[in-house]
Amino acid sequence: MMDFDPRVYENVSINDNDVRNIVLSYLVHNCFKETAEALLTGTGMQQSVNYLSDLDKRKAIFHFASEGDALRAIELTEQLAPKLLEQNEDLHFDLLGLHFVELVCSKKCTEALEFAQAKLTLFGKIQKNVEKLEDFMALLAYEEPEKSPMFHLLGSEYRQSIADNLNRAVLAHANLPSYSSMERLIQQATVIRQYLHQELGKDGPPPFSLQAFLKS
Amino acid sequence: MARPLTPHGNKDMIGSKGIIRRSEFVRIITKALYSLGYERSGAILEEESGIPLHSPLVDCFRKQVLDGNWDGSLATLNKISISDDVLKLASFMILEHKLCEFLEMDRVLDAVNTLRNEITPLRIKPKRVHELSTCIICPSLHLSLGSINGIKKSSSRLKLLNELQKVLPPALMIPEGRLEHLIEQALNVQREACYFHNSLDSCLTLYTDHHCREDQIPSQTTQVLQGHGDEVWFVQFSNNGKLLASSSRDNSAIIWEVREDGVLSLRHTLTGHQKPVLMISWSPDDCQLLTCGLEEVVRRWDVSSGECVQVYEKNGVGLISCGWFPDGKRFFSGVTDSSICLWDLDGKELECWKGQRMIKTSDLTITGDGKQIISMCRESAILVLDREAKVEKLIEENHTITSFSLSRDDQFLLVNLINQEIHLWDITGFPKLVMSYKGHKRSRFVIRSCFGGYEQSYIASGSEDSQVYIWHRGSGYLIAALPGHTGAVNCVSWNPVNPQMLASASDDHSIRIWGGTMLNLNHKEAYSNGVSHSNGKNVNDNELSL
Repeated sequence: MMDFDPRVYENVSINDNDVRNIVLSYLVHNCFKETAEALLTGTGMQQSVNYLSDLDKRKAIFHFASEGDALRAIELTEQLAPKLLEQNEDLHFDLLGLHFVELVCSKKCTEALEFAQAKLTLFGKIQKNVEKLEDFMALLAYEEPEKSPMFHLLGSEYRQSIADNLNRAVLAHANLPSYSSMERLIQQATVIRQYLHQELGKDGPPPFSLQAFLKS
Repeated sequence: MARPLTPHGNKDMIGSKGIIRRSEFVRIITKALYSLGYERSGAILEEESGIPLHSPLVDCFRKQVLDGNWDGSLATLNKISISDDVLKLASFMILEHKLCEFLEMDRVLDAVNTLRNEITPLRIKPKRVHELSTCIICPSLHLSLGSINGIKKSSSRLKLLNELQKVLPPALMIPEGRLEHLIEQALNVQREACYFHNSLDSCLTLYTDHHCREDQIPSQTTQVLQGHGDEVWFVQFSNNGKLLASSSRDNSAIIWEVREDGVLSLRHTLTGHQKPVLMISWSPDDCQLLTCGLEEVVRRWDVSSGECVQVYEKNGVGLISCGWFPDGKRFFSGVTDSSICLWDLDGKELECWKGQRMIKTSDLTITGDGKQIISMCRESAILVLDREAKVEKLIEENHTITSFSLSRDDQFLLVNLINQEIHLWDITGFPKLVMSYKGHKRSRFVIRSCFGGYEQSYIASGSEDSQVYIWHRGSGYLIAALPGHTGAVNCVSWNPVNPQMLASASDDHSIRIWGGTMLNLNHKEAYSNGVSHSNGKNVNDNELSL
């Protein structure tokens, strides 16, 4: 998999502190509070006091969002980061849509209808939201929404992506990086290898694959 | 319904050719009677003929739809023998209407249930299903429901019935207006087959087959205009048909006035050119005239005063054609160096297109919207250039092209060829040869042809055998070859406003005006042969000098 002479890698020195920061950033991003605290104590790293303070709250928000309890997620977000949703209309729309989907899934048709009329239709005034809105609304037409063409809206993958977006937005709101360094590094390596592969063709290194890298 | 004894025999097929089914014929008539409001007559016909307009099942279905008995109508629909696809489609339409009516009455939950439990399971038209869903929640997003709002229930249900009729097999419910449609088709066929149909006010009647008499085609000389001293090369009516301009080898052009009674009289003689005048072009508002001398200059004239307002020339080269731009503020002219110039009225050259070859005739024309320029680009090819899109279309012929003219609707081009054929090309989209016209004679000179008559259904052309030729455009059929001139006929022009007036210009120094034979009866009867002459002088109404 790796076509370079392994000795090339030996020449690159890595600062241990940098590595620890990378790990820490991952833990913080995904709200692993205890693990992060353990790492800090174990390595004796110095960090500012309120680095971990809002971690719990963010964890709760993420949890409710990925479970589909959008209203709770919204409530907590309002507490932790007021005005965040006002500034992120798309995100707000997605969260409300999540709630709508929940209502439809729990067969609460009337409630879903009323909720949609009260909250969702407002977003329909902007052209780019119309298609999304139609997809949500269309769920009502099906007795078994999971068998409809929009079944992906009910899946956990979709909820996960919304939760991720919310998490990033909260981090950004607190002026923290919205992507963990680990993610960024992997993305960086992939893009560069892809570029080289395109430029040099067969002469260059093959595209980066994380799976293959981990196995080797 | 009682089964009557029919004294007329009970033949299934009727009509002289035996291709019309009695049951179909009667049902169409019955439907027409009902449409006209003759309820009793319709009912009696159904009874007397024993042929009901609708089968009992269909009758029941119609009643259920009109009553809003949706479940009943769906059940009946299932009993009628139609294909599955049609059944689903019709059911969808009925349920959609049911949903809309619920929304009208604000019964939102009922609407949702109809959608979920009845419409969606049909598994057709998923996009529409989604639209309906959005409609329920957010009616303002979709205007498609607007058709229901504000219309009374009865008429909207009737509308539904009409829509259903289009979807169901036609034998089940007779389409609205079917009898009228069949008759209109027949009338159209008759009209198109009539070669002599050349009048604005000939109406079609059902009593006899439509057949115009030949007397509407210009076929007799009604006037001979003797204003020029040499061969007359070009003639053209103004856009409003009230004036005629002619140009001649005698270096002059003449403007003639068409009087109310159809007689022409000389208005102005336009002198000033030092060379034979090749071509004339009327401004879009008919107030100005452009004339072009042979490899010389272009002159602009004011029509009411007859004065030359401006002369346009190019140093070192001669101009060989001229034509107005549709906005009336610019004009183009062909030049002896194979280029084409666009001028503004002050004499400034705005644009210049270089050509490839030296061609004798440099006919040039522009479509009414100013977008396409049609010009000669090779001896046997015409270029149609779209100025905005920069797209070029080529009309290629096998022989040299001598002249061409554009139809009024800008869609067709009439091309005169050296081999004595006139070709009609459709230039919308990819150019297609549509028709050929033959019969006239052309061997040495430029002969021009034109569109004309009622709805430009005719083609007229000059000919070297001194006759004027007229063909029926659609069929290519030669209708007339009109004798009268004593020299080659160079150019013809059909009055755009009077489909029965045609002008021809000839080497015999004269211009002839042709009209339909019916017209001659209206002329002042001072002449035994029905022909009036007019020389170059202004003529008093009451006296004619022969």
